[in-house]
Amino acid sequence: MLFSESKDVTGNIMQEQAVRAAMQKGSTNRIEFSSEYLDASHFLGREKFQLFQDYLGKKYAGQNLDLILAFPSLDYKLAGELPDALFPVVPVVFVAVNEQEVPLAISKLGVTGIVQRYDIRGTLGLIMHLQPDTRRVVVIGGTSESDRATLGRIAEASQSLEGVGFDFWTNRPVAELREAARLLPEGTVILLSTVQRDATGQPFFTSQLVQTLAPSASVPVYVLGGWAFGSGAVGGSVVDPEDLGTRAGQLALRVLNGADPESLPIEVATKGTPTVDWRALQRWHIKGSRVPSDAVIRYRPETLWDEHRNLILVFLAVFLAQAVTITGLLTQRRQRRRAEAEILNQRMELAHVTRVSTMGQLTSALAHELNQPLGAILRNAEAAEIYLQKEKPDLEEIRAIVADIRKDDQRAGSVIDRMRSLLQRRNLELKSLDLGELLAETVALVRSDASARQVFLTLQMPVKLPAVRGDRVHLQQVLLNLILNGMDAMADVAKFQRLLNVSAKTAENGSVEVSVSDCGTGIAPDKIEHLFEPFFTTKPKGLGMGLAISHTIIEAHGGKIRGGNNVPRGAVFIFTLPAADN
Amino acid sequence: MNPSPESGTVFIVDDDVSFLRSVSRFLRAAGYSVQTFDSAKIILEQLDPGMSGCVLADLQMPGMNGLELQEALAKSANPLPVVFLSAQGDIPTTVRAMQRGAEDFLTKLTPKEKLLDAVRRALARGARERKAREHLRELRGRFDLLTPRELEVLEQVVRGRLNKQIADDLEINERTVKLHRTNLTRKLQVQSVAELTRLVGEAGLFKHGEPE
Repeated sequence: MLFSESKDVTGNIMQEQAVRAAMQKGSTNRIEFSSEYLDASHFLGREKFQLFQDYLGKKYAGQNLDLILAFPSLDYKLAGELPDALFPVVPVVFVAVNEQEVPLAISKLGVTGIVQRYDIRGTLGLIMHLQPDTRRVVVIGGTSESDRATLGRIAEASQSLEGVGFDFWTNRPVAELREAARLLPEGTVILLSTVQRDATGQPFFTSQLVQTLAPSASVPVYVLGGWAFGSGAVGGSVVDPEDLGTRAGQLALRVLNGADPESLPIEVATKGTPTVDWRALQRWHIKGSRVPSDAVIRYRPETLWDEHRNLILVFLAVFLAQAVTITGLLTQRRQRRRAEAEILNQRMELAHVTRVSTMGQLTSALAHELNQPLGAILRNAEAAEIYLQKEKPDLEEIRAIVADIRKDDQRAGSVIDRMRSLLQRRNLELKSLDLGELLAETVALVRSDASARQVFLTLQMPVKLPAVRGDRVHLQQVLLNLILNGMDAMADVAKFQRLLNVSAKTAENGSVEVSVSDCGTGIAPDKIEHLFEPFFTTKPKGLGMGLAISHTIIEAHGGKIRGGNNVPRGAVFIFTLPAADN
Repeated sequence: MNPSPESGTVFIVDDDVSFLRSVSRFLRAAGYSVQTFDSAKIILEQLDPGMSGCVLADLQMPGMNGLELQEALAKSANPLPVVFLSAQGDIPTTVRAMQRGAEDFLTKLTPKEKLLDAVRRALARGARERKAREHLRELRGRFDLLTPRELEVLEQVVRGRLNKQIADDLEINERTVKLHRTNLTRKLQVQSVAELTRLVGEAGLFKHGEPE
């Protein structure tokens, strides 16, 4: 490996390492490397070059070389003239970052290699991307032939950037540049071209110049080569020495593996990797969001993620597991809720069916209820007809008849209303309601049935009961169910014992307690715990849904229902309903 | 529509006061004399045994119902005929009521002609039965005048026994038998044995424990 610069040059070190790594990686054989440095910047002239060539000639005499890898910078002698003279049969591959044309002589020697050109347009693009307000670009360049070639290409590229002025500082010594860079106004950036030699002819390395300029400059500094990056410059679409070295290594391997260098054309590429220095972005308050997505950001402090990656992953895993579990539980709960709602819905449906069947049981009683007022209306009407046929109708009597007819008509209407409300299909609607009124109405509804069955029906309650929140129709169904059950239970007991008492009172905790007690046969002790189970019945034709539905309805009201035996005989069912809060 | 004034009173029993008032109003307008009661118990307590007429009763009533009222009336001193006027009747109840001698079983929505007809029939029957009862009472009054010995003789006579046989049976002489016969025919206001036998039959005497 022949380097035209010193081994301390950052770009050289980076390229060398990349080449070695790429070659070792791509080959199963052990590859031995030897490196030689001309250091042309400090040792100028034909004489020095000849000394270097003689030295190499002596040093490597008798050595079996398989490949020469040249890294020329100022000119291509290292890739052409020198190896041709010393090792004429050894294939040569070279790598150069150079804006000059590749000399024809090199091509003629059957040498292959890569010439990389600076991505100047890319760098200018990055500048405008990061700092759209840029109005002026100060280009600092050197005086060597290669430096001038680079400046020429920058000047060429500057034409495409409208509204931005370009100043080329090429005639100032480096010491002066530093002072000038301190005083640049806002809206200006410095683009550091190559400086192999400054205005005084002093040899320089661009990477050194950045270190001198950037920290004290009043404006951001952009660079073209990766080696100039990392010491204060914001960045640029830079030539990446590692990438270049890797490509060179791969090319060298192909040649080592027998490819004829002459058949491999010299690759001339303009290639840059948009790269920015995170620290410089901070310094110039350039937002991270301005950095193009394809750009590489370097020197960003390690984030929590980088530092505690495993810990975070474990936390995340635990968190995810928890989230999944919680979601699962929530879903389950939602499903259960839905199922419960569905059951309630079905119970309500069933409640309706049961109400209809209760209606069936009450039909004859209700027909009786209805026939009373209708019969009265009929007889009154007939009486009125007779009075009207008389020569001097008794108007007072007829007026009384009409008033009675009206009253009985309302009575019949209210019977029909009660029936209709029982037959309504509906969901639970909780409203504040006067339970006393509901009890009285329900007892009125079953009174004629009770009378037909010769049951003595009583209702006991205080004058004032707290209002409860409830659904009128559904609660009435519960009451009807309990009352009709009670009357059924007394079918076989002596007539004078057929007492059914409905009572209500305010319980200690402010809720309202309603009890329905009969003097029937009572409940077998082993059956008490099954009372409210669906399909539990003691009646030969019972469906066994009445109490189950009553249970559902009372629970849906937030109340409780229980059943047991009474003293001295019969059964008692008690339910409580919470008082409606104001 | 023109009942004779002596045909009696219609006693209406119904717990439904409104209905009670309407029926009473209608029957009064139709020319009947009417009394109303809102429970079976009250009519039983207050009914004058001397009153003639019929009962128009509801079937379903709290406490004592219509059928029970019918039963109690039948056993009472004034067994008035009963017409049931029910809001709704089922067949078994109707059959039971009729078997126990109800005059009719009507619903409250029955046409007025049927109602009036039933009331008329019941009143007529009431009058008829009252007359029969009075006749029987008068007959039994006559028999009550007889001494125990005369009753013994009467029993033998209507069984067709001769005076001599009667005398042997009762261990008295024949002449005494003749004296008893003369006394009892006078008390019973009859002339012949045939008439005597008819009278005993009408009064329903000697039906129980009769030797073969």
